[in-house]
Amino acid sequence: METPCTGDGITRETLLAWKKGGARALERIVRATMKRSYAIALGLLGNEQDAKDVSQEAYIAAHAARRSFDVERPFYPWFYRILRNRCLNLLERRSRHPEVSLDAICERSTAEDSPERSHARWETAAMVWKAIFSLSPEHREIIVLRSFQELSYREIARVLEISEGTVMSRLFYARRALREVLAGAGGVPGEQGNGES
Amino acid sequence: MRYLDGEMNAAEASAFERHCEECTACGEQLKQFADLNAMTRRIAMKDPTDEFWERYWKSIYRRIERRAAWVLIIAGAAMLVAFALHEAIQSLRVVTFEKIAVLLVAIGGVLLLVSLARERINQRRVDPYRDVKR
Repeated sequence: METPCTGDGITRETLLAWKKGGARALERIVRATMKRSYAIALGLLGNEQDAKDVSQEAYIAAHAARRSFDVERPFYPWFYRILRNRCLNLLERRSRHPEVSLDAICERSTAEDSPERSHARWETAAMVWKAIFSLSPEHREIIVLRSFQELSYREIARVLEISEGTVMSRLFYARRALREVLAGAGGVPGEQGNGES
Repeated sequence: MRYLDGEMNAAEASAFERHCEECTACGEQLKQFADLNAMTRRIAMKDPTDEFWERYWKSIYRRIERRAAWVLIIAGAAMLVAFALHEAIQSLRVVTFEKIAVLLVAIGGVLLLVSLARERINQRRVDPYRDVKR
């Protein structure tokens, strides 16, 4: 079995059993991918409740559409499109303004940090998190996949069905937009860039 | 971007570093994006508890199971009503309590379907996101 690009380790046998309606197979698939799906939905939608509801609905929709799934292909890119469409639908219904919750995140502070420094770092993290949600869904998505899911360009290209070159340029524009938002909020020093690194 | 994301091989990375040492504009831009990346990397999404994940899976399973149950119930009820209507048409002259009951259920069902269809059509007319792919 070809391992899916996302490294979920779902075997071909599991996918075949799932296509036949096997509940055990469905459970294996959900358990193997649910953390990633929830995190992606959280990154796109901004709060835990929506992330939970929408990612669960995506699994239910995927299960209903399982007969159209080709077991020779990896599961996650196929599922990702369902998840993504559902997230975008919700954002459209909310006029693209997610309800952002800071409860969903924490700051990677180190043990040596003083309380003041730790607080300052938390404030910066909160500002960056909020800034991410002022980006377009397309830009937010690529930042979530790269920075939070830590997918490689190749994996992102496969999941989004775009070329690696497009991944690179979209990341550049997304980060530039993020930097502009943060610069406007006084969060990032420096001027606006025009080229790619 | 490729350099910052570790997508360059060692030769490409060292050539790029040399270029940034010589080119002030690229060096400055690299620093700005590196700072931004560092800020983004400091954010971590909280991992929900094991209980959350257990409930997460069980909720999916329960909803799929209930959906299947509703489909079966609705299909069975539709078949029963269709059969009863067929029987009623076969013997129109004899009016029984069962026939009246089935007729009421059938009329109620049709009314409900018409009402739902009308609501959906009206919603679709005014929905600004009707073209969004589901």
